[in-house]
Amino acid sequence: MSRRPLDYQLNSALNRSKTKIITDPILITSVFVILVFGLICLYSASGQDVSMVTKQGIYIALGIFLMLLISLIKERYYRPFLINLFWIGLLLLIWVLFFPAQGYNTDRWIDLGFFGFQPSELVRLTLPLAVAYHLTRRDRKPDMLDWATVLFFILLSTFLVFKQPDLGTSIIVFMAGFLPVFLAGFPLSIIIAGIFSLGALSPLIWYNLSDYMKGRIFTFIDPNSDPLGAGWNIAQSKTAIGSGGIFGKGYLNGTQSQLDFLPESHSDFIFSVIAEEFGLVGVSLLFLLYAIIIYRIFKISFNANTQFSRVCSASLGFIFLIYLVINVCMVSGIFPVVGVPLPLISQGGTSIVVHLMAFGFVLSLKRVETW
Amino acid sequence: MEKFRDLDSDRKQLKILLSRSFFIFTIIFLIYLIFSYQIVKLMVLDNINYVSQSDENRTITVPIYPARGLIYDSQENIITENVVSHDLVFSGSNLDELETDLIEIEELIGNSASLWSLEWFTDKEQSINFKEAILYKGLDQTQIAKFQLEKSRWSSVKIKPSLKRLVLDENLYSHVIGYLGPVSREEVISSYDFKYPLNYFSGKKGLEKEYESILRGGLGYKSVEIDAYGNEIKEISRKPPQRPENLYLSINKRLQLIARKELDGRKGAVIGIEPSTGLVKVLVSSPDFNPNLFNGTSTSGEITKILKDKDSPLFNRVISGNYPPASTLKPFIGLLALENGIIDWDYVIDDKGVFQIEGEGRRYRGWKEGGHGEVDLKKAIAVSSDVFFYQLATNLTIDKLSDFLEKFGFGLVSGIDLDNESRANLPTRNWKLGTLGEAWFVGDTVNLGIGQGFITITPMQLALATSIIANKGYAYKPRLVERINELHTTKEILYEVEIQDKSNWNKLEDAMEAVTNSWYGTAYNLSLTGEIKIVGKTGTAQIKSLTEEDLSVREEYEGIRESVSDRDHALFVGYGPIKNPKLVMVVIVENGESGSTVAAPIAQKIIDEYLKEDL
Repeated sequence: MSRRPLDYQLNSALNRSKTKIITDPILITSVFVILVFGLICLYSASGQDVSMVTKQGIYIALGIFLMLLISLIKERYYRPFLINLFWIGLLLLIWVLFFPAQGYNTDRWIDLGFFGFQPSELVRLTLPLAVAYHLTRRDRKPDMLDWATVLFFILLSTFLVFKQPDLGTSIIVFMAGFLPVFLAGFPLSIIIAGIFSLGALSPLIWYNLSDYMKGRIFTFIDPNSDPLGAGWNIAQSKTAIGSGGIFGKGYLNGTQSQLDFLPESHSDFIFSVIAEEFGLVGVSLLFLLYAIIIYRIFKISFNANTQFSRVCSASLGFIFLIYLVINVCMVSGIFPVVGVPLPLISQGGTSIVVHLMAFGFVLSLKRVETW
Repeated sequence: MEKFRDLDSDRKQLKILLSRSFFIFTIIFLIYLIFSYQIVKLMVLDNINYVSQSDENRTITVPIYPARGLIYDSQENIITENVVSHDLVFSGSNLDELETDLIEIEELIGNSASLWSLEWFTDKEQSINFKEAILYKGLDQTQIAKFQLEKSRWSSVKIKPSLKRLVLDENLYSHVIGYLGPVSREEVISSYDFKYPLNYFSGKKGLEKEYESILRGGLGYKSVEIDAYGNEIKEISRKPPQRPENLYLSINKRLQLIARKELDGRKGAVIGIEPSTGLVKVLVSSPDFNPNLFNGTSTSGEITKILKDKDSPLFNRVISGNYPPASTLKPFIGLLALENGIIDWDYVIDDKGVFQIEGEGRRYRGWKEGGHGEVDLKKAIAVSSDVFFYQLATNLTIDKLSDFLEKFGFGLVSGIDLDNESRANLPTRNWKLGTLGEAWFVGDTVNLGIGQGFITITPMQLALATSIIANKGYAYKPRLVERINELHTTKEILYEVEIQDKSNWNKLEDAMEAVTNSWYGTAYNLSLTGEIKIVGKTGTAQIKSLTEEDLSVREEYEGIRESVSDRDHALFVGYGPIKNPKLVMVVIVENGESGSTVAAPIAQKIIDEYLKEDL
């Protein structure tokens, strides 16, 4: 047995890491399991609508392709273009505001022929990437101009999404933009000052909320105030979750979802279907899978060598986590219904593709984690 | 060198990132704790509540309504049945939408069906309770086809089959069967055990009304799973409805046909009762109506026409019609006179055609000018001598008369299983004082002697009183329903009349036999044409008074009678065969003029027919 020099071992490990096609098999496997489970649940939640499941499957295939493609690209090749990607997203946001696609009830969509596409979803991916790039492009702390620039574009993007109107996604977009800012060391004093001024401005914000947003918030405060209107959703969702019990009613046997008592069961409220049919056991297993994904993302982030990689992957990890938390808290009656899908499972092509692209970026960042 | 990274700065940035990440994780973890508590509370602690809530959501209990019980005649000919009807049903909550829908649909399928349940909708308070309501009942094939072609225009209107009541012989049994109508609000509220839906039909008149609780049967229930839109997905459990029982009537279809044919559209009443049981064999009131018009499939115009008909076809003359009994009352008055010892069968008066109370100037005419000469009670009944009975009544006084007549059921309801039975009017001194504010005069008693004046009877009362003669002292309560499925209804004695000399029953029967079988009898014509020997008594109820005041204007009297409505009512009571009577008949033909030539032959024909076969 010959002992090889240390630098040889280091180099070969580095080479393996750089040449491996799949940089994090555990992350990818967990994502895969959730996607398959999601399709199975969607079949049940959609009332056994094969065409909806097929369409979702096509999006997933596209998303996986994009994820693997991005994961193969070395970070240094795309880093300079992240800003441009953001510009494209921003332009599309402005586009939908002025030229909304026909056939959708909110101005969120761009019609690409056979499928619709939400630019707001793209922005909530490219915004944190661009912000992370802008703040870490120099090997030193960002200056005030940097902070001001990124904050301006974060607020602009948030405002454009809010105007669609899409409260849920605008919150996500704001968080997605602000997370890298926060993680990159934005001065805490300004944050505290900001929170206070936001408190002072809250009446103004309330005044600018549209009726549907106000309605949702009212319903959240008192779900019984409108039991057949907006409160109906949350009451039915809680009934679905609660009646699931520990082991659930069994696949395709959830009466709340199968008999259409649960509205939006295939999209925002799909978690309730899972809870109803698979019970607390199923929900716990699903959470375990999500936990693995989040653990892997932050493992990559905290082990990364560059500030860009760290901020980027941590931001994307937090956004994923926030999606999850908002959705499950929303359907279980803790948060108001703001229209945030359950990541990787809810019906909705753009959302899944963008989540998978985000994983692609994280996986690609792992290629450089060992310096 | 620029290429070297500032490791110190990098470590500082990593530290910031880690601490701030930790901060965010802490917040998220706190939220996660709240979520965990919520999810455990929902799925474990409150699980039972939510399970029952979800079951409540998805299952409803739906009542199942049985098909209504059928009605048969005595020969088990079916009288009413249930047939499938295609109804246009509205199920929805948007009433404003309904209004425009109705206009469009009416344009499409035409105006031939009724719209009766719309009134339920206009009363918003009522309409809250119900899921659906029938807009049009009994669509025909063309209407169904027209609607099916364009049904997509009205999302909450659909065609639904239901059962409708159909009386096969239409008008033949109208006053026996009665008719159905949409349930009233009161019925819906008070029908705890049956739970009528608001668009249900219940009995409104006749046997359909009286036997409603039997005919409608008992409610069944099914538990069904529904989706969020109320559509039935599958049945979970079922308790079948209780099969309603069928009614087997004592009414005989052939007798009904004869009675109706003989009345021939004239106003009048025919009733035939089997005296040994009280079973009603024939009951016809004319004019009649088609009960099927009321099952919801006809236009409101047709129903209004019936309701506004001045001859009141809905009015059951047999039990509700009030007529002067006229001469048909004479046997009862004769019997009372015998009972009181005022007369015996040998008592004779000289009937000169006019009666005058001693000390009074007023003269009462008999129906035959010049009178009948010497008459005893038997002949007085046979020839219907008015003068004889003027005399008897005057001697008997009103108090004795009304007491005695009440024993025969006059002034009383029989309690037959039909609605709206009338008591008619058996006058007393107090009645006159209370109603007219006048004292009773002897003249009133004189008129009562020949069944005129204040006294009125219903044909049913007359038939029961005649049954007492036929049975020699008692009558059974009249019944229309012989059995309910296999359970026979029981006969019960309704009236009993005790007399001192029982042989008087037979002698009275002899006298009534003389009416139809002696050459001088008023209905001698029956013995020439009839097949069965029957006994009877004719009556001609005078609408125009025959008192002295009118005597001078005989010609004018003839003139008045040209107006049909002023003509006398023809009455006949009778039964046969004489030994062991099978059928007691009462026939009244309004404005028929003559009891003997108009009313009596109808009774004779029916009795003949009844005895042709052992019915």
